[in-house]
Amino acid sequence: MTNRNVLSGETENKLIPYEMVLNSIGSTRELVERILPKGEIESLKIGAKAIEQIVRTSVEKAKQGLPVIGHHFAFQREYLYCFDCVPICIEGTSYLLSALLPDGVERFYDVMLSWGHPFHTCTSQKGVMGMTLEDLFSFDAIITPTAPCDNTFASYPFFEYKDVPLVIPDIPYLHEEKSYEYYGEQLRLSLEKLGKIIGQEPDFEKMKKHIEIENQVNSVQLELLELRKAKPSPVENMFNAISAGVAVFASGTPEKLDFYEKYLEIAKKRYKKKQEYGKEERIRSIWPYMLIFFDLSLCEYLDREIGMSVLFDIFNYNFSNTVNTKGDLDTLFFDMARRGMNFPMMKESTEFYYPFIENCVQLAKDFSADCFVFTSHLGCKQFGSVPQVLREALREEVGIPMLIIDLDVGDKRFTSTKIIKDKINMFSKTVL
Amino acid sequence: MQLRDDPFLSIANKIPNKYIENNKRNIVGYYCTYIPEELLEAADLIPFRIRATGNEDTNKADTYMVRFTCSFVRSTLNLALDGVYDFLDGLFVCNSCDHSRRMFEIFDMVVFKREGFNKNVPRFYIAIPHILTEEGYQWFYGEISELKNNLEKVYNVKISDDKLNDTIKLYNRNRKLMREIYELRNLNHPKLTGTEALQLAIANSSVPKEIANRELERLLGIFREREGLNIDDKKRILLIGSVVDNAKFTELVESSGAIIVSDNLCFGKKTIMEDIDSNSSKSPLERIAKRLYYRNPSCPRSMDDHKRRLEFVKNQIKIANVDGVLLQRITNCDLHGCDNMLFEHELKELDVPVFNIDRENFQSDYTRFQTRIEAFLEMIR
Ligand code: SF4
Ligand code: SF4
Repeated sequence: MTNRNVLSGETENKLIPYEMVLNSIGSTRELVERILPKGEIESLKIGAKAIEQIVRTSVEKAKQGLPVIGHHFAFQREYLYCFDCVPICIEGTSYLLSALLPDGVERFYDVMLSWGHPFHTCTSQKGVMGMTLEDLFSFDAIITPTAPCDNTFASYPFFEYKDVPLVIPDIPYLHEEKSYEYYGEQLRLSLEKLGKIIGQEPDFEKMKKHIEIENQVNSVQLELLELRKAKPSPVENMFNAISAGVAVFASGTPEKLDFYEKYLEIAKKRYKKKQEYGKEERIRSIWPYMLIFFDLSLCEYLDREIGMSVLFDIFNYNFSNTVNTKGDLDTLFFDMARRGMNFPMMKESTEFYYPFIENCVQLAKDFSADCFVFTSHLGCKQFGSVPQVLREALREEVGIPMLIIDLDVGDKRFTSTKIIKDKINMFSKTVL
Repeated sequence: MQLRDDPFLSIANKIPNKYIENNKRNIVGYYCTYIPEELLEAADLIPFRIRATGNEDTNKADTYMVRFTCSFVRSTLNLALDGVYDFLDGLFVCNSCDHSRRMFEIFDMVVFKREGFNKNVPRFYIAIPHILTEEGYQWFYGEISELKNNLEKVYNVKISDDKLNDTIKLYNRNRKLMREIYELRNLNHPKLTGTEALQLAIANSSVPKEIANRELERLLGIFREREGLNIDDKKRILLIGSVVDNAKFTELVESSGAIIVSDNLCFGKKTIMEDIDSNSSKSPLERIAKRLYYRNPSCPRSMDDHKRRLEFVKNQIKIANVDGVLLQRITNCDLHGCDNMLFEHELKELDVPVFNIDRENFQSDYTRFQTRIEAFLEMIR
């Protein structure tokens, strides 16, 4: 029940980056609550609160000595609630700090770069790797699936080099019934293995409660997605970014459900009044991949300066199945696997990209999109040959254009906000 | 005497060759050494490892692959878009890395849909686990079994156990011959250069194996007879990392004052070190699957196997009496980039001189590159 720091007699808590998250998200929330009038960026206000609550609890629990478990964003946090532990999302922490800290987390990227981590390897891991190298994090164990990308199985062995036990449920790069059975078994074996490392028995009954919360979240998410078919979209662009953060940090908690329910109410009110957010909606865009994380103000810029709605990004249109918690353990793990393999980004990465392209074409039609914006992230090689094929499909089948921007979603030095804005600006003129 | 113009070795310098051009059997391309060649052979196919030899620009491929993908894969796509791979009668892809696995879709949607290209080329995909466990092995064996059934259907052949046993013998013989030749690199005066070793591995993956075996026997005789190379002023180097399919690269290293005495490359030792068990009571298909899945050295795609790869490297340093290790990756290759990062630290901890570089598949700035390698070699005492 104790973490390594306590066991080794170290009194200093080694969760400094998480405390940084707590401080920065706390001050962001205070600031927006104080200065923004009612109705302005509501998603940021309620989202920051949810994340702050979760991170505060995590820091407190770690201080009490509970084991600190690092996890890949693609390993559903709610599954870790079968233990008394402090789950920390590696990718989420890198990118939330890159969004919240005035100087981003470039310093930690550079630490890793000079240690030999290639410049082209994903910054979502590079940030926390750098923090670990600097001894700011101490994990009792890390759990990561073998997806969604080369970066995952290339970068995570670094943690093992740093003596952190690594637990690896394997994911097949193939979507068939047998894949869910295989990954389901992997999940179960991995949780048992993780339990042995931290000296706890997994309590699957407890885990089910948290999974049930996610099941509820799922239906609210679908309702919100449906609302975005409306013209104008009643959902502000910032919601997409914040909901990605909440999804990662608060998965399986009442705080997450509360966030979605509250925002659904806001969106419904706007929908009824046919009210839009920001400037008049002139362009409806779909971002089939990620938003940029190092500068969230881009969301507001698009809403207010260009009148471009981001109807959704990858974390906001792509919802996996609910999990049957009432059947036997085999059914439970089969569904958990299916959920994991259909999680945003996991689905696209572990599958051929035909369904992704078909899906995009269908979404463009269903949501009356005027264009697509594809953020081609330096780390994501699994999508390296998708953009052009997708662009051609959208042009031929829907008659809409797609902008491709090469960038690193977590490092402003690769492509700066200014360049991104310029590109979108110019592109929007061709769309109008 | 350099053997680089030997008719067999020079197969490595271009894509098509006379042994496959006039062959009646179907020739099938594969991207990764985790594809079970023995099974393809038993289906009466000639496996040909796809490579980018000779390609100097990626203009066509760049339309379809973003600039931060691996230039080796982009170059193979460029060649395919130029029609160089039109001779293939099948394509085999697995999830070896993010760059190459997407060739399954891009060949289908772009290469095979090119105007004027009317051949129906069957494509096959196998999903390989990223960790080494009993459950993973069972999955892999299932994939290989399914592939066997698909091959029988698509190419209308029967793959009997006898046939599989024959191809196992053929391939074990091939690996043994390759190892015997490669062992001549360990000598104080090696009998062949790293460039010749690379050419051998490339040629070996480009022709039917019975021809390869004949040629390897011939060359083994020549290498054995030949005088050892005078390498008194050269440093003995172990070469590790991303795919090398171009003799110009090893020539550049070796003309900088090195001799590559060993490697951990997929056109090299990665494919030849272990044989398929011939004495086991298991079915031939199971034995093929077992060797491939647990192969040592593995590729960095095997996420939980870095320690075994390090042991392999340490062992090579000892048996080939290595002076220094050259770690290289093709820019954007995350797998080898990160594996090399760990090797660099681990080897430095053991006081092994090590140099870690990135490069493009087609190297245009030879001089700068050479200067860096020379500087490294200078540093080795
Ligand atoms: S899928 Fe893309 S964003 Fe996610 S970890 Fe891999 S490279 Fe990074
Ligand atoms: S060099 Fe790296 S990225 Fe390129 S094909 Fe090989 S493993 Fe893939």
